[in-house]
Amino acid sequence: MNKKPDDVFIYPKTWINEDARGFVATVEDWARKEIISKRLEYHKEYKRLFAEKRKKLLFDIGLDKIILPEKYGGFGWNTPGRAPDMFSVFLEIGKADATIGFMAAIKSACLAIIAMEPGIDESLLDELVPKYFSEEPKNVAVILPGPGILNVETPLFMGRSIMASVKSTKAGNTVVGKDLRPTGGGADADLFCVVCADKAKKPCIAFVPSDAKGLKKGKPIKETGLNACTNADVSFEEVKVPKPYLVKRDNAVQEIYAWLNLLFGGISLGAAINFYEILYDWADTRTIKGGGRLKENPLCASVLADVAEEISSARLLGLGLAHIMAQSGDKGGVGSPSVYTFAQMIGSSMQKGALAALNHGMELMGSAGYAKEWHVEKHWRDIKTIQAYLAGVGSDIPVKMDIARFFYDLKEV
Amino acid sequence: MNSFDEFSRPEEYVSPGIKHFRMVLRNLIEKEVMPLRRRFDEDWDEHKLIEPLFDRIMGNKGLGTQKSLFPEEVGGWGLGHSDHLGGFAYAMAEEVGRADTGFAVAFLVTLWPLLTILVEPHVNWRLAREFAPMFCNSDKAVFAAMCMTEPQGGADIENLELLKGKTIRTTARLEGNEWVINGHKLWPTNTGGVADLMAVPCTTKPGSDNPDDYALIFVPADTKGVTQGRPYEKAGMAADKNSDIWFEDVRVPSWYRAHGPGTDAKVFMKFIIPLGNVGSMGMLVGAMLNLYERLYEFVSTRTYNNRPLKENDAIAGLIGKIAGDIDVCRVIGHEASMIIDRRNKPYGKPLDSPEVIGKTRNMKKFIADTAVEDFGLAMDVLGVYGVDRDWDIEKHWRDIKMIQLWMGGKQLCQMEATRYFYNCKTL
Repeated sequence: MNKKPDDVFIYPKTWINEDARGFVATVEDWARKEIISKRLEYHKEYKRLFAEKRKKLLFDIGLDKIILPEKYGGFGWNTPGRAPDMFSVFLEIGKADATIGFMAAIKSACLAIIAMEPGIDESLLDELVPKYFSEEPKNVAVILPGPGILNVETPLFMGRSIMASVKSTKAGNTVVGKDLRPTGGGADADLFCVVCADKAKKPCIAFVPSDAKGLKKGKPIKETGLNACTNADVSFEEVKVPKPYLVKRDNAVQEIYAWLNLLFGGISLGAAINFYEILYDWADTRTIKGGGRLKENPLCASVLADVAEEISSARLLGLGLAHIMAQSGDKGGVGSPSVYTFAQMIGSSMQKGALAALNHGMELMGSAGYAKEWHVEKHWRDIKTIQAYLAGVGSDIPVKMDIARFFYDLKEV
Repeated sequence: MNSFDEFSRPEEYVSPGIKHFRMVLRNLIEKEVMPLRRRFDEDWDEHKLIEPLFDRIMGNKGLGTQKSLFPEEVGGWGLGHSDHLGGFAYAMAEEVGRADTGFAVAFLVTLWPLLTILVEPHVNWRLAREFAPMFCNSDKAVFAAMCMTEPQGGADIENLELLKGKTIRTTARLEGNEWVINGHKLWPTNTGGVADLMAVPCTTKPGSDNPDDYALIFVPADTKGVTQGRPYEKAGMAADKNSDIWFEDVRVPSWYRAHGPGTDAKVFMKFIIPLGNVGSMGMLVGAMLNLYERLYEFVSTRTYNNRPLKENDAIAGLIGKIAGDIDVCRVIGHEASMIIDRRNKPYGKPLDSPEVIGKTRNMKKFIADTAVEDFGLAMDVLGVYGVDRDWDIEKHWRDIKMIQLWMGGKQLCQMEATRYFYNCKTL
């Protein structure tokens, strides 16, 4: 393909801050030079090269500290106004390897609640930054509200069960929870960001170091995609965490959801855009019915159009969400009901769009879409994994309830 | 509802023999295949775990299904002259597909090329007698492959009705009493070193669209000049190995051609496409039955709003759609199998008729699209557990996508169905 995807999938570039464009271009350059142009080698030596390329992105390029205030060595991108910039950066990473983006997105989304203006929590940043932003990658896993268990009444976050609880005393906090399923990466996590219920059954967030006494990880889980980060269930048996490690601020959970929806959306769209490039080249060289160019066949062309349409729409939606988050100050912040609802709504749509693009295109590519050597199936599995993680439980029904609750003032759902 | 087996099927379509066979096969699959299937992905290259299971289903010390098509006179079950061929094929696909569709396709594709020489009225007795010992006297699983797809044309080989073999580049030249075969094929199931016998669609006159020049020739895998590549790494279907395969001056006896000019194309159209569609449908529905089993467990034991997922009206709408789809798809699958089994009845249609090809292509496409959608939906219902292999749904999701893509894929199904339903001339 001799065109840049950005010239094809047009979007309002002015929504991205001018001073961020250079960094976005650097990440794009990393994606192309380090991974996309060396796919076969990357696939063959995945474990080693994943670690190597990820480290280069996190530390040489500096992505690891993207969310931190300048005082802590960060970019100073710790305001919601940087949401379009963040979206663009994660989109570029998604083109190369969704797992690298996924691990960084979780870390950024969880840390956003203490690093982002106006909710900067310096006492906790002072604790966490030296330990989890060192020269070696440190991973964060998040445990969100999700499915409950039959006959176990739990506190709820908008219908979803909060399976962990926290007891606070003057000395500190004690986190309890059994066999909790993180949104990916549980086995590899150095720090857990756990949505817990407090004594009043209100949601709050505890940061729990993985080496805390009483924290037990289960066996590694084999999952559909994002295979470079391994998940595991986690139990907290009366785990003590220092007092500052508990965030009780209103709407902090909503903020995590908002950031996850935005950044995961960027990653899945990046993967879908890279798929478009692969599909473009494939369709350009294939023939049908004994000699005609496949892409010139009207039925095949209509499928190709579906792919482009899904990606274009989803990208515009994603930037729309980023723009809403950037302007969220007058709406009550990123965790406000309106921004949270739009994040859930658009986040779900972006994942559906990205996955639909892959599904349609694979139907055209046939076995080439299914063989690992074309690098399509990995994008397909990774996007599906992100979509299922984001759904949490019950497919998009909890999100639909969030939407209906906001738009129609529901009281009981 | 008490069991997955209560999904609708026209009971009058299911013979007592098929019912009994299903129970025997199900028992073996549940005891021996299902407990190991979650480890198949890691066994994709070596098949250390998978191979002994094939022996149990296919070989003589197990069920011996690999001899099912051969006439009784040569040691087989005689399924080739049964009026229940379609029903048996569908039943086998559904029962094994419930455990693992990759396993199902590897086992069923062994029977696929043999259909062209073992089913009445096209029994080739010379080849039946020649190949019978290989399949009927073995305790080990013996595999066959149908080598269709070529690098240049993708689905064109399967589009025989329109292209009539014009695009085939694998050539067969008759020299004395031997066929000399040259060509390159991609993706056949049971290649990558698995198959013992291959059926190879060739042209005796490159570029010809005369069906007389289409030759279906059997080639033992150990024939000089046959080279199988390394198995492809794929998204799923680990129990099914696929590779490139090259034929360089491969010589086989002249009687290894399935039948002869005109009839080879006819048997291909009669058996390979319609029964390939029926087998695909059986596998898909089998996987969907297992989806129901696993989803039932999850939505009954996990909660949203502190109530079982299945008792939430909105989630019930989603899982109800899935169950409804399975019910409808199972009926369609059985109807497709009956299209095969009506072939010799006064009200039946020839299997190579545009009606049978168009309708079975359409049915396969419908079930495949529905299955892809429902598995994706079910994974989201399970949410963070949906991608967990221990819940089995994600593996089926990866596997059944391949069924949607194979045999010419979705677009060829659409074209062949439309060609029949609208009397199109050029599609």
